[in-house]
Amino acid sequence: METRIGIFLCNCGGGMKNIDFDAVAEKVARMPGVTCVNLVSHLCLDEGREKMIASIREENLDRVIVAACSPEFKEHIFRQALEDAGLNGHLLAMANIREQCSWAHEGDVTEKAVELIKMATNRARLLQPLERKELPVNREVLVIGGGFSAIDTALHLSRLGLRTTLLEKEAVLGTGTGEWQSLHGFDNSSMTAAVEGDRNIDVLASARMTAAEGTIGDFTVTITREGEEISRKYGAIVLATGFRTELAPTSTLKLRTQAEPISGISIVSQEQLFHMLHNSIVEAKPRTIGFMFDFSDENSRFPTLTTLNNALAAKNKWGSEIYIFCKNVKVDSEGAEKLYREARECGVVFLKCETTPRMSMDNGRVAVEARDVFLGEDTVIACDLLVAEELLLPIAGTETLSSLLNIRLDSRGFYQDENVHLYPVASEKKGVFVIGWCRGNLDMGRVLTDISSVVMSVHGLLSSGKILVEVERVKVDPQKCVACLTCIRVCPHGAIQLVRVDGDKEVAGISDLACDACGICSAICPAKAIKFQGYRDEEILAQIEAIGES
Amino acid sequence: MNGCIVAFCCEHSAYPAADLAGRLRLHYPESLRVIRVPCAGRVDVIHILKAFENGASAVLVLGCEDGACHHITGNTRAKERVKYCNMLLKEVEVDGRPVAMFNLSPNTPHKFVRAVNEITKIIKESGR
Amino acid sequence: MIIAERKPMEEIKQAMAPYKKVLVAGCGTCVTVCWVGGEKEVEILASQLRLARSAEGNEIVTLEATVERQCEKEMVTELKDKVAEVEAVLSLACGAGVQTMAELFEDKPIFPAVNTTFIGMPEKEGLWVEMCGACGDCFLDRTGGICPIVRCAKGLLNGPCGGTRKGGKCEIDPEKDCAWVLIYRRLEKQGRLDLMREYNPPKNFRAVKRPGRIQAVKI
Repeated sequence: METRIGIFLCNCGGGMKNIDFDAVAEKVARMPGVTCVNLVSHLCLDEGREKMIASIREENLDRVIVAACSPEFKEHIFRQALEDAGLNGHLLAMANIREQCSWAHEGDVTEKAVELIKMATNRARLLQPLERKELPVNREVLVIGGGFSAIDTALHLSRLGLRTTLLEKEAVLGTGTGEWQSLHGFDNSSMTAAVEGDRNIDVLASARMTAAEGTIGDFTVTITREGEEISRKYGAIVLATGFRTELAPTSTLKLRTQAEPISGISIVSQEQLFHMLHNSIVEAKPRTIGFMFDFSDENSRFPTLTTLNNALAAKNKWGSEIYIFCKNVKVDSEGAEKLYREARECGVVFLKCETTPRMSMDNGRVAVEARDVFLGEDTVIACDLLVAEELLLPIAGTETLSSLLNIRLDSRGFYQDENVHLYPVASEKKGVFVIGWCRGNLDMGRVLTDISSVVMSVHGLLSSGKILVEVERVKVDPQKCVACLTCIRVCPHGAIQLVRVDGDKEVAGISDLACDACGICSAICPAKAIKFQGYRDEEILAQIEAIGES
Repeated sequence: MNGCIVAFCCEHSAYPAADLAGRLRLHYPESLRVIRVPCAGRVDVIHILKAFENGASAVLVLGCEDGACHHITGNTRAKERVKYCNMLLKEVEVDGRPVAMFNLSPNTPHKFVRAVNEITKIIKESGR
Repeated sequence: MIIAERKPMEEIKQAMAPYKKVLVAGCGTCVTVCWVGGEKEVEILASQLRLARSAEGNEIVTLEATVERQCEKEMVTELKDKVAEVEAVLSLACGAGVQTMAELFEDKPIFPAVNTTFIGMPEKEGLWVEMCGACGDCFLDRTGGICPIVRCAKGLLNGPCGGTRKGGKCEIDPEKDCAWVLIYRRLEKQGRLDLMREYNPPKNFRAVKRPGRIQAVKI
């Protein structure tokens, strides 16, 4: 059957003066298959849409071209108009004659506009309808971790009516929150108590995830607890596994690092210092304290906060002289600038060094030798107590979890967020989220933002119990697939698996739920067996062929 | 399409950047023809070769910034494919047909215009 | 599977020089999987040829087709009509495919566009390594499932040679593992290190009578 193409030209209420719309209309009307050309001044407004719907019905159109603004803005509105007229929304092609034609050039661009419409028309001829359908999703959420972000996420989700399981590898919740406590004085017992009283939250302690399969809305997870295997189903998985610290490796450190620094003269970690300040009785107050940070890891937002907090506390409690050796002080987290000012005001000395200071033992004190870039000379300071630089590292088991869930780690071994600017808490796998410390170095404000965005995302995804997907948008042709596994290896979203068709032939199969429609598989398939509706080779090449045709 | 520049633009970065360039009235050569793709990783070697067969003078592949690809590996794959394509063109001694990949983010229309201008300069220098 | 590699373009171009209309024929099995001769590569090679020739001002018409297995006469027969239309065929199949094609279409010159290189497996996406030398006398049972004939640079049946580098790398190519170190470690895991002491006699490469021919038991 001959296609019946309708072209709708919108002049945006006179916003495109360098296009002669009558000339465009005349030229595009001559293209084969074009049934009607309508010139409208505001296609996106109600009157325009109504006109469009009426025209689709009257002319019995089966392809629609909208030549107007960028599809980034109004494509969804026009798709809906098609649907309202009883036509599949995917039979629409847009020609961006405003942003990328009229507005981008100075002189008369009528010819270019005609060509853009021809490109869109060529593509439209090949477009195929795409069905959508609702698939049920499991409304339960698995949160892995037992720290602040994990617990808070579970509490929020529970309030929104989503059942949540907290999976903690330790015997009790909140064991790894030491640094948080030292920094923000928060008490985890009230949170753990809230969890205990919440019937929507199930706590699995001393347990680990040992297998996971499935896709968004339908994950099957195997949990091992005390040698016993439990299988459970979840709609979404949130990773909030936190981080660990380790003293930066320096040979001299090994000499005198003590597990329980009670005597007060030693090299300690930030957490040990916190305990000295708040819990232990210190026999001799350290007169001089040195701090070191930002030499091994540039991302020192958190070390800056802990250092400033602890330095201030030590100054107030012991009145010690305090020297801070660092490359840079990162004050972009909330309150850090104020802390830094306070520290300067009460006499804390900051030494900016480009290289890691040398340390040596000197009569039970630690001599720190550094070159301050502003003074321009070497300085030696003998400290009674040196708070060593700490490395922030992903917790043990991060690699195992990442390979079980098939999500990537970044260069430092933390979970890679999908897009740091646009979708910070999403992982590359739909339905798996990473929040808080386990995705890198954050501060409290950022962790709270993470928690709220993951709660919103998960709620949006699962609350209705169903999810709308496009059916076979990206599809493998089982006849052409040679099961070379290339697509399975390259799919960034883990959406492709081997499936059996026609009884037993094994071919690649794409999950509509997990697929994020990038088209990487269809570009790489050596057998050209993968078709991405709307962006098939034919559809892309048809646009190229239209260029310069006239 | 004598002398056109075909630009494959990722809808997560380069396409909105091109729109923004239009809204800011940052002008660039009229010979540019944008083809919207869901990810730079969708752009295949054959799309680029066919553009040249149709007479394009240059091809641009524009994707997200390094490490910020919406589909994780799409932009790095695109970069490799562009390299491969240059190799294929060199093999058949079809020179002066540049294929280049640029990374940009949606809020960098100037980078989009710079990419177009750069490739235009290369075409001019090669005398096509 | 059979691994092949694209011939240098110069060679292909020269071979195609006398012709104005050719069929570029791919194979949908091994060479598709190793990214050299499937539908996609057919398309790319054809496009390259057209570009090259149009730059010379000497246009070439290319037909494109990919059959499931070019080493099967029944499947290659599908190409009959297309072959009749062209002056020559450029085949992206392995040597077996090219010969099947040549046998079926005796009046047409068939040109190989790839060099059939070895029997191998993918090590990772896009990287294939040789695994089997098709020697016809398999002794993988004695070497922990690692074939020194192709994986040892010297093809030693009794190794290692004594030139193994630190870290178990080969003295000829420090990028590659010493096959005999791999064999040692594998046998160690299996508790069969005694096999390292056993002498492997020279292989009877005459086990395969050329040309090779294998008749499966008729069922």
